[in-house]
Amino acid sequence: MAHLKREDWYDLTRTTNWTPKYVSEEELFPEEMSGGRGIPMEAWETYDEPYKVTYPEYVTTQREKDSGAYSVKAALERDAFVDRADPGWVSTMIAHYGAIALAEYLAVTAEGRMARFAKAPGNRNMAVFGMMDENRHCQLQLFFPHANTQRSRQWDWAHKAYHSNDWAAIAARSFFDDVTATRDAVAVSIMLTFAFETGFTNMQFLGLAADAAEAGDHTFASLISSIQTDESRHAQQGGPSLKILIENGKKEEAQALVDAAIWRAWKLFSVLSGPILDYYTPLEARKQSFKEFMLEWIVAQFERQLLDMGLDKPWYWDEFIRALDETHHGMHLGVWYWRPTVWWNPAAGVTPEEREWLEEKYPGWNDTWGQCWDVIVDNLLNGKPELTGPETLPLVCNMSQLPIVGTPGNGWNVKDYQYEYEGRLYHFGSEPDRWCFQQDPERYKKHMSLIDRFLAGEIQPADLAGALIYMGLEPGEIGDDAHNYEWLEAYKQKVDSAA
Amino acid sequence: MATGNAGDAINNNRVGPVMRAGDVAQAAAEAAEMDNPGKEITVDDKVAYLRISAENELILTRESMEECLGRAFQMQEIEINLSSFSGQIDANSDRVRFYFDKEL
Repeated sequence: MAHLKREDWYDLTRTTNWTPKYVSEEELFPEEMSGGRGIPMEAWETYDEPYKVTYPEYVTTQREKDSGAYSVKAALERDAFVDRADPGWVSTMIAHYGAIALAEYLAVTAEGRMARFAKAPGNRNMAVFGMMDENRHCQLQLFFPHANTQRSRQWDWAHKAYHSNDWAAIAARSFFDDVTATRDAVAVSIMLTFAFETGFTNMQFLGLAADAAEAGDHTFASLISSIQTDESRHAQQGGPSLKILIENGKKEEAQALVDAAIWRAWKLFSVLSGPILDYYTPLEARKQSFKEFMLEWIVAQFERQLLDMGLDKPWYWDEFIRALDETHHGMHLGVWYWRPTVWWNPAAGVTPEEREWLEEKYPGWNDTWGQCWDVIVDNLLNGKPELTGPETLPLVCNMSQLPIVGTPGNGWNVKDYQYEYEGRLYHFGSEPDRWCFQQDPERYKKHMSLIDRFLAGEIQPADLAGALIYMGLEPGEIGDDAHNYEWLEAYKQKVDSAA
Repeated sequence: MATGNAGDAINNNRVGPVMRAGDVAQAAAEAAEMDNPGKEITVDDKVAYLRISAENELILTRESMEECLGRAFQMQEIEINLSSFSGQIDANSDRVRFYFDKEL
């Protein structure tokens, strides 16, 4: 029997709006959940998703994807790659799973909100598939690391991280709650699917896959690049929303949603992908620097697409480009220094060879961050490891929930951007972080950063031990240097040969 | 970058698929040559993925994919290996088109 082509019947079958008789349109699509923004229903019905899929196609395709990912895992399991992988790479995986797995589940609820409350039938249809996609991502990224829980309790943080008050989990929750859990359907389509998924997920799921393949971790490369094939489809839900907003005089509002989501995603990825790509991944496996991946995926691909949709570059463009040389180096230094407070073992990534690479990719690195690492190396060589660990608390940004960082050493520019609202003084790591807050202070004003909680006496005893208990870090989970400080050997030899 | 400003990377008109490495990616790279006559197709091999691109518009047809793969191919199957793409997308049962509305 001849089948009709999808395009010959698709539009008809997904035109599922009707005229409600028993309830009002407002009751059927509450503004708080739908976010119609006063744009008439007929306009939302023009929503035309560019990347269409039908249910039979979806099931067939997803089955292929899953059997591919699971069969690679099964085939390579006996190979026990994890046991011989560089410890920096193991840390990469442990950090990734903890930061990502349960955020995928949160995304199920965001897709669910669009599936029920989007006024655009096409958006509702695609979101049903998106919901199932995200469920798949959560399952895969809980199942794959679970096989390694016999190796170390840190792997269990794939499930545990988002249920804890670890500072990195607080930061990730703050971002994902903002763009997924607490926005109307239209804002979700723009902030989560367009800004975050067509943009930043490529960094962590394809940039990192390139490094994984170089590192010989084919299971991980196959898994995350497979996940990203779902993203590339369901991320297309935001584009048509943007077009409708722009056509109906809401460009400014759309731009503000995109700008806020990009900036917040950038800050989160500066602490996750940045250290992973530039410091944890073994030098020989680094396909490109974090900055080069950012230029490929975010600047040349995503931001260019943004212009094509009729939006402008974010107002903070110059600051964003400047920060590509800076922010993640500060984040990495902080994560390594406060290493007991994370569920993975940060790799320092500063052997003399690695410093040469960093200097080449980021001219001036040795003169700035390098100076801080010089002090750390001296302290470790002189038998004073206690001087390389946390004694005090960092100042944390009330938007990103991450330490306020800047360039140290000869390029010193660290600054606290402050804002007083209803008698409370807030601290921000940059002008765009402060701007995000000012867009909607009511949304953010009650949130307490980890440091706010500490100062309010919520963390007892008020020292590192108390902080670790508060963060849920048990023995065997507390982070330490990934390579057990073996990277110092090269510096010892330098000292010995000088003597 | 010629001007030395990293932000200038945005000034490009490159569009096309980013495919997971494998036979479908290789076929797409070959099919792109057949389906876009006269256009210079760039293939950037990142081991885990292949970035295939052209200026302003790049088309992949089902017919060419079948020829390059040497087997039947549903256009929708491309999704199994389409991890990302540059530009906007417009897809039907016979072809996928990557494009920009505005040329910079």
